[in-house]
Amino acid sequence: MMMDDQQGSAFGFEGTWREFAPIAFTNLLLTIVTLGFYRFWATTRERRYLWGRTRFIDEPLEWTGTGKELFIGFLLVLLLFGIPFLFLQFGAQILVLQGHAPLAIGLSFAAGIMIFYLAGVARFRALRYRLSRTYWHGIRGGTDEKGWIYGIVFIALTIVGYLPLMLAMPWALMTLWNMRWSTMSFGPFRFSASGRAREVFGRYLLFYLLIVLIFVMLGSLFATMLPRMNGAGAMTPPSASVAATMVLGIVVLYLGFGVVTLIYYAKYMRVAIGGLTLGDLQFSFLARSKAWLALILGDIALLICTLGIGYIFLSYRHWKFFITHLEATGEIDFNALTQSTTRAPTQGEGLMDAFDVGAI
Amino acid sequence: MSEPSDDPPGAEHDARPWHYDGRNGNRWRPILAAEGDGFRLIGEGWESGIYHWADLTALDDPAGRAVYGLKGEAGWRLGFDGSPPAALSVYLPTASCYGGVFDRFGLVRAATVCAVVAAFVLFIGLQAPGWIAPYIPRTWENKLGDAMIGDFGGRICRTPQGIAALDRLKAKIDPDGMARTIEVANIPMVNAITLPGGRIIIFDGLLQQAKSGDEVAGVLGHEIGHVEHRDTMAALVRQLGLSVVLGGFNGNVGGYVNGLLSLSYGRDAEAAADSISITRMRAANISPADTAGFFDRMGGGARKSGKAAEAMTWLSSHPLSESRRAAFANSAQKGHVYAPVLDAEQWQALKGMCAGDRDVEKGFPRLF
Repeated sequence: MMMDDQQGSAFGFEGTWREFAPIAFTNLLLTIVTLGFYRFWATTRERRYLWGRTRFIDEPLEWTGTGKELFIGFLLVLLLFGIPFLFLQFGAQILVLQGHAPLAIGLSFAAGIMIFYLAGVARFRALRYRLSRTYWHGIRGGTDEKGWIYGIVFIALTIVGYLPLMLAMPWALMTLWNMRWSTMSFGPFRFSASGRAREVFGRYLLFYLLIVLIFVMLGSLFATMLPRMNGAGAMTPPSASVAATMVLGIVVLYLGFGVVTLIYYAKYMRVAIGGLTLGDLQFSFLARSKAWLALILGDIALLICTLGIGYIFLSYRHWKFFITHLEATGEIDFNALTQSTTRAPTQGEGLMDAFDVGAI
Repeated sequence: MSEPSDDPPGAEHDARPWHYDGRNGNRWRPILAAEGDGFRLIGEGWESGIYHWADLTALDDPAGRAVYGLKGEAGWRLGFDGSPPAALSVYLPTASCYGGVFDRFGLVRAATVCAVVAAFVLFIGLQAPGWIAPYIPRTWENKLGDAMIGDFGGRICRTPQGIAALDRLKAKIDPDGMARTIEVANIPMVNAITLPGGRIIIFDGLLQQAKSGDEVAGVLGHEIGHVEHRDTMAALVRQLGLSVVLGGFNGNVGGYVNGLLSLSYGRDAEAAADSISITRMRAANISPADTAGFFDRMGGGARKSGKAAEAMTWLSSHPLSESRRAAFANSAQKGHVYAPVLDAEQWQALKGMCAGDRDVEKGFPRLF
């Protein structure tokens, strides 16, 4: 099947919040009365709706994951993370109090590395799980990799990315993204990911500009306070205007950091998804910084106006945002789109759940 | 269960289902021909084997179409745009909505039952530790306490005179030896804690703040109350239980609730510990006035802020409330002559114990 640019977008979201509301509210109710245990099944219902209302060319996607899988994933997390985490929390303190400080530090370091490693593995396995449970035209995605090697690369690249004043972070993140997606497939076709960090580096430098600005601000603040020092070195209490400047500075700092993150991330997503291909399909993501800003401000307004209950609609908003800005061009041959032969994982993205990070 | 196979239902063009076989991405529009307890799909130039109605599973389709899967065949789909033909509907399963149990009993009924069970679980979870703790053998608790704390990382202060003063305090306020050890730790916090295994540790910061030995005796009496009622053990059991029960919630929510509930022994336990302290002071002929003064000083800021402070006492581990000060103040008998529990020399020895101990470690134990 050919995709014609005249037809409009290959991806379309056809859900409405009115359809989603009964799902969201009953999920909330059942999650509360089960002391939280329903949330795995709630997530599954939510995804069945969001996937099923997402059209790709001629057919909706289908989510086939189950609540039980997510629950098993969660139990695995309790086991894998619970043990190092419990040690960090209690065991280490007990050892210090018993006078075995070096042992405690050594074991804490090992536990920390273990958590770090599993965080990388988790990110990989979440993507694998989601692709293996996503069907379209009766065909699913997946990968035969299990993410154990990815976890090691994740640690290595994160450290390398941090070392030169964090300047290599965009490169490390983009390399990890490309590595993650290049091992994934849909049907018989392998994804290829070739996003280039060079393209996002300019925006990444805005973080450093922000830091320079902070130092300039601090410097000027110090300069205004300097004349107040009297000969003995004692300082008169800062005036109201200085205090106001400081408060304003902190607000600007937080806002500035948020806005720069948003500008950087908007570009990052465009470049990363823009580098994705699957067979003859070429993906692109069109959301610009302005659209991201509208999304975030909308989220905040929704949360404030509904006194927080609007929280249950955030997943809907974010998915809709993602799909409406996602594009694909190219050709699919349905005869060649044969079933995936990858092994499907048996448990859900429990690890990812523990870190509360997005899977894509 | 047999349909005439020469006249298959759904033979009309618009009632034909769509079908994915799960092997490739082609969308078929076959004819569905019922046969025995199952059916065949007949397309242009192909015909499927027999599928059994019992192997079909209904899928909940958000777009409102009737979609079915086949057990054991991932990706196999049979669907009708709109509702399936009436002739077939008797054979077709219905979709699950909320998941097994909730569908069977209906949302409202199942949710109500769950809410009652949840309330019961929470109630038991909060109450049970208090019931269980007294049955945990003291020897276990002692071992646990020693394993957890050891020698407090070398932070326990020891001078011969200071220990003599502590022994004197102990003999007065704890003549029956309820507390296994009473020690002073070189930590500059105004606090005293009871650890599992009946070990009471007074922080040096509290001694520096206190005006007299009587004051310290009041605080000690309070901590002995916690030992007597095994509040520490109950708190540990509660924390363990809650982390299991609230594990179902998102990490953060569970963590906060857990922290709030387990931080304190609870208001009742604090009040009970206070009354034990007052009883013990009376028995030892120690004036409670100084302890009241201690609360007065500690709560000085809080009393001014009124209601807010009252609300905060629900959150802090040792609520510094006006009512607690009053309880100590009112227990003082007018005209009665009390004897100071420590003389001036003993008090100075206790107060100066940490400063006088050269070998003691400093500060709060931290990892890094």
